[in-house]
Amino acid sequence: MSLIEIKDLKVHYPIRGGFWNRVVDNVKAVDGVTFDIEAGETYGLVGESGSGKSTTAKAIIGLEKATSGTVTYKGKDVTKAENRRKLDYNHDVQMIFQDSLSSLNPRKRIEDIIAEPLRNFEKLDKQAEKLRVLQLLDIVGLDADALYKYPHQFSGGQRQRIGVARAVATHPKLIIADEPVSALDLSVQAQVLNFMKKIQRDFGISYLFISHDLGVVRHMCNNIAIMNRGRIVEVGTREDIYNEPMHIYTKRLLAAIPETNVNHRKEHREHRLEIEKIYQEQQQKYYDKDGMAFPLVKVSPTHSVALPPEEAKKFQQQAENKEVNV
Amino acid sequence: MKRDIEDATSISEADLEKLTKEANQEATPSAAKIMWREFVADKPALISLFILIVFILFVIIASMFIDVPKMMETNIMGYYAKPFTPEYWLGADAGGRSIAKELVVGSRNSICIAIGLTIISSTFGICWGLVSGYFGGMVDLAMQRVYDFMMIIPMLMTIIVIVTIIPHYNAITLTLILSIFYWMGTSRLIRSRTLSESQKDYVAASKTSGTGNLKIIFREIMPNISSLIIVDTTLSFAENIGVETGLSFLGFGLPMGTPSLGTLIANANDPENITGYWWTWLPAAVEIIILCLSISYIGQVMRRTTNAAQRRGQDKK
Repeated sequence: MSLIEIKDLKVHYPIRGGFWNRVVDNVKAVDGVTFDIEAGETYGLVGESGSGKSTTAKAIIGLEKATSGTVTYKGKDVTKAENRRKLDYNHDVQMIFQDSLSSLNPRKRIEDIIAEPLRNFEKLDKQAEKLRVLQLLDIVGLDADALYKYPHQFSGGQRQRIGVARAVATHPKLIIADEPVSALDLSVQAQVLNFMKKIQRDFGISYLFISHDLGVVRHMCNNIAIMNRGRIVEVGTREDIYNEPMHIYTKRLLAAIPETNVNHRKEHREHRLEIEKIYQEQQQKYYDKDGMAFPLVKVSPTHSVALPPEEAKKFQQQAENKEVNV
Repeated sequence: MKRDIEDATSISEADLEKLTKEANQEATPSAAKIMWREFVADKPALISLFILIVFILFVIIASMFIDVPKMMETNIMGYYAKPFTPEYWLGADAGGRSIAKELVVGSRNSICIAIGLTIISSTFGICWGLVSGYFGGMVDLAMQRVYDFMMIIPMLMTIIVIVTIIPHYNAITLTLILSIFYWMGTSRLIRSRTLSESQKDYVAASKTSGTGNLKIIFREIMPNISSLIIVDTTLSFAENIGVETGLSFLGFGLPMGTPSLGTLIANANDPENITGYWWTWLPAAVEIIILCLSISYIGQVMRRTTNAAQRRGQDKK
């Protein structure tokens, strides 16, 4: 059984208008997202800004109310606040935020920030608590003199590591990392990512890794879901996504990864333009009349793509044929 | 489970003391220390703080030694006695009552009412604003309608009516009556800041760390809007001295026979007093000016303390 199962998750925001301030329409921030996260793996959620990645994460952890759908953890639906309390859900699921400065309370010292989840979930005495905080600081590579400082006295990378230390404090099973490195420069990104990987190896934590940086995702994740306009357009293993992308949006994302080899500059440029041309031509075909992606179709045991109905039919027939053969 | 974190590092209990000491050396100065530095850097504010504290203490202690009913007796021999005499330091009014003694007891009454009013109304206003802003939605809607209702009541008229209806009232009941009408400004101000503050990531981080709502409101959000709270409280203290004084000036403040700064200033209603007997009203007026000025100086320092960009204090090690 998977660690956590997200099924048909929807988060809609009502648009109010008219004389009586009635609900006239919905913004479908997340519209029917389904995936599972296994214990100990890193699951990547990729997409452009506004595609609903962060909203999905917030709905999973309970910061955002899900309109419908379920998030199953230990056999219970944790979209209900009551179940979250009963399970001590936030003891097991923690979050790392994108903006390291605003996610640390500017009025609290580092000791109090890291100890906050400990004080809520594990009743430790003062000495043991301080020791644990010092150990956590050591794990993320910070010195003991950070203990009584305030967040604004640290650099962005150090602050993000404090955020990681806080998330690890209660020894959670899943950490939701909402673009943890997108606000950092490249050398510091690598540093924070390596700390996250080390912690994963040491403690066997699963990550839901949200990013728009495909290079980072390739470095971190085993399984990847590509999101676009509130729906998942392609799911698969790292190899599926990077070697055999099938959805035009995925192809476009991959083409946008910058290449460092200057000798092939012209070819890369042509490749990108070609992909873009295909995207513009086939956009009508790959999205329905409301501009939403189609339902996912299995193309291999690990790989599912939101293909247009005609192509989807082909794959379905293939699958049926296989079953007949078996 | 706990074992894992301990295994991943080399830090053990043996290092605790040494590391704590190291951390203490690098610790950032506390807010109180920073505030004191600001006072030292701003001499007028330091003098204001000194004047305010000494004056309040003096007035409270000195009034303990004054027999108020005896003081308020009419003494025909002292009719408009001149100031700067051994018996009447600041002269006497039409009833032959010592202005100096009246000033001490009156200041005590006015300042205590102002302090009481500030504490009650600000505490209530802050709580109201924080809760309303943090929860938002229907809670906010309901609480803000109560606020709107309180706002449309004509404040001064209602207070005067209540004071006239109630047969026996004293300083405490007057403070409570005033408190009912003076929390709204604070609550709106606090609410607006809470609305923006509660959207920030550190509040979300606290929620995912399993902290309860009340704790988030009072331990996370409130310290972050403390600058606003401190400035608002000091300024409303200065304002509240004026509230009681104004009511007493109109004759609806403290009951007859209880001196207050307002009744002293009301002496100036008589044109004869203004021209001929300046000592009956001038000391009280000067005192109010000095008090309000001091408080606003102190308020400025408080504001600078909470805003790092405006600080003047030196960072001494």
